[in-house]
Amino acid sequence: MTLKQQFKEGLITNNPVLVQRIGMCSTMAITTTLFNGIGMGLSVLIILTCCNVAISALRKAIPNDIRLAIFVVVIAGFVTIVDLLLQAFIPALSASLGVFIPLIVVNCIIIGRAEAFCQHEPIGPSFWDGIFQGFGYTVVLVAMCLIRELLGSGTFGTGIFEIVNGALHVTLDGSAAGIRIFPEQFGATILIMPFGGFLTLAVLLAAMQYALRKGAEKKEKAARAAKVEIPAPAEVKEAAE
Amino acid sequence: MTETKKAKGGSQIVKLAVILFLVSAITSGVLGLVNMFTKDIIAEQQRLKTEAAYNAVLPSESGYTTIEFDPDDPAFANVDALSAAGDNGWVVELTFSGAQGSITAAFGVGSDYVITGASVIDHAETSGLGAKITEEGFLESLVGQSEGMAVTKDGGTVDSITAATISSRAMANAANAAIAACKALG
Amino acid sequence: MEEKKLFKVTSNPILRTPRGTDKIMLDVIIGLIPALAVGIWQFGMNAAILLVVNVAACVFFEWVYRKLMKKNCTVGDLSAVVTGILLTCVMPSNAPWWVGLIGCFFGIVVVKQLYGGIGKNFLNPALAARAFLSAAYAAFMTSWAVPAAMSGVVDAVTMSTPLSYLHNGDPLPEYFNYLNMFLGGIPGSIGETSALAILAGGAWLMLRKVITWRIPVSFIGSVAVLTLVFGCEGYGNVEWMLYNVLSGGLLLGAFFMATDYSTSPVNLKGQILYGIGCGAVTVLIRYFGSYPEGVSYAILVMNCCAWAIDKALRPRQFGVTAEDVKAGKAAAKAAKKQAKEAAAND
Repeated sequence: MTLKQQFKEGLITNNPVLVQRIGMCSTMAITTTLFNGIGMGLSVLIILTCCNVAISALRKAIPNDIRLAIFVVVIAGFVTIVDLLLQAFIPALSASLGVFIPLIVVNCIIIGRAEAFCQHEPIGPSFWDGIFQGFGYTVVLVAMCLIRELLGSGTFGTGIFEIVNGALHVTLDGSAAGIRIFPEQFGATILIMPFGGFLTLAVLLAAMQYALRKGAEKKEKAARAAKVEIPAPAEVKEAAE
Repeated sequence: MTETKKAKGGSQIVKLAVILFLVSAITSGVLGLVNMFTKDIIAEQQRLKTEAAYNAVLPSESGYTTIEFDPDDPAFANVDALSAAGDNGWVVELTFSGAQGSITAAFGVGSDYVITGASVIDHAETSGLGAKITEEGFLESLVGQSEGMAVTKDGGTVDSITAATISSRAMANAANAAIAACKALG
Repeated sequence: MEEKKLFKVTSNPILRTPRGTDKIMLDVIIGLIPALAVGIWQFGMNAAILLVVNVAACVFFEWVYRKLMKKNCTVGDLSAVVTGILLTCVMPSNAPWWVGLIGCFFGIVVVKQLYGGIGKNFLNPALAARAFLSAAYAAFMTSWAVPAAMSGVVDAVTMSTPLSYLHNGDPLPEYFNYLNMFLGGIPGSIGETSALAILAGGAWLMLRKVITWRIPVSFIGSVAVLTLVFGCEGYGNVEWMLYNVLSGGLLLGAFFMATDYSTSPVNLKGQILYGIGCGAVTVLIRYFGSYPEGVSYAILVMNCCAWAIDKALRPRQFGVTAEDVKAGKAAAKAAKKQAKEAAAND
């Protein structure tokens, strides 16, 4: 698989949240402000990449019988390191993500990629898999945050952007108030609450499925019109092997 | 499958155990190093955070000292932490139930057993209604109150937030409990 | 030409009545007129504005969605109009018009059309919209205007509903008497205050055979029986029961919401079970919940159970007797036992 294919898989055709439907718990729980979304996404990206590389490096030494136990130990190690570093250097992010940083240990994306990809693949592709899958996760988180924050409280970029005296300020300590798009009273606060997480994710999932299906139909039509045999998608080939 | 495993016998299990042990040992070693490096920074961050929260309810130049208390004593029910703010009084942190879930709040109690300030640390009240307990306007109505306070709807002088009487009541009762806990210290 | 002579082979229903969805919906609209009239008379201009905005918005969203998705236009069946009217009925008159607009969007697009449109939604769109709004705009959705009948008695702009007095355990003021509750001179959602108007509308629906007695009677009956049996400290049991039946959205919900075809069971026995379930959940929420009113949530909860009720109480196939069913069950049991023994012996 080429780098470009891997990128497309991580972002679209095999997006961890919208297509593989893993890691949905944190996606619904923490996506209330842009600060949380980017912070969580990057934390997962870093942990995922580290775990992928470590597990891929160890793949020949890991006995099949206890692979899950070893995956969990490695993942827990990296998660704890990131947790400690966040507490020490970005306490605001650590406070607002709370228990969801330690809970990355049980995030299906990480153990899922270890099981499905890294235990068979060399270090290079595993590294890029971590980056791209983590990026796909981050993009979904950011989309969720933007929708929920805008419709729920009428702001954009809480924790990162702020307008002070007419000038745009960017802060990284989570203290920024965000840019107000419309008055707070118009915001549907339910979107900030857990129910809003379910609702937004469901709508995004539906939209993604719709888009993927439309895309596949278009391809099929084009293929039929050109009277060429439809090439099997990459995933199908992989699964057959 | 099961037969091959049986045939391999004990040596296989020992091998698995050794590998798992090695991975765990290396991981914990790395974690120990990271912890050593970040421990002091985290403790400092924690202290700064608590101090900032406490300063908001009862400022103290001489810092805050934690007071030990007996958690089984009914006078300290709901109390999470108690600190003396020099000679100015005490800061009491309580967790109690509101209308929707638990509320955690810090109350400053002066040496004359009067509330000097309050701040809500964590809550799960309905936004737009019960969540107004975090607003300045409501918290200020607690300042200067002494034990036995009640919300206006019950004939007291603490603001009762419209359509959120239960949340306001919970805050007033918690402030009473904070004063009671300080009195119980003697 | 020849085709006409052939018998058309289709699945049931074979016999069709000329009464389509639009006729039924028109009857529902007529049934809602008394309640709406009382609401507009008591709460004035605000209620009328909400009604107009909600009906227009529901029709508009339905039309736009069907157009954008290139599906046939279903505005003509009037179901969107009914949703708009019902949503108005369950909103407080103090709610701003744009809150109604957002509710219509949620009810029509998210709850109804995303699941395939009329007949395919599993939740009542109006009630789901109300639940969404009361979580999203709690402050607007709990601000009850003083009705015209009380303008001389109460010196205020907003007041609490009788149910919230009962919920907080405060003594009920004198003006919340049975007569006011029956005629509609109490604060509450626009269409829920007058028991008389709702009963008149409900009677019309039954007369036109749009609804049957099963769901309303079992719903209201179970609330009445449960509150009569369990009562409440400080009130006589009969008094408590009457308050619970007459105030709040119980009657409106029982006649107009719980009876919605696509979200209630088809099975006749199932409808009674569904009604009792609605009543039981309502009473549970009113007694133990943190909200004073539970009718809308009760109906939504039972909407989610409707499929299970239909499945559990599926009638026997035509031509199959009770003995056949018994024999079939016994045979299945024996086969299972045999398979188990075979597995044990292996």
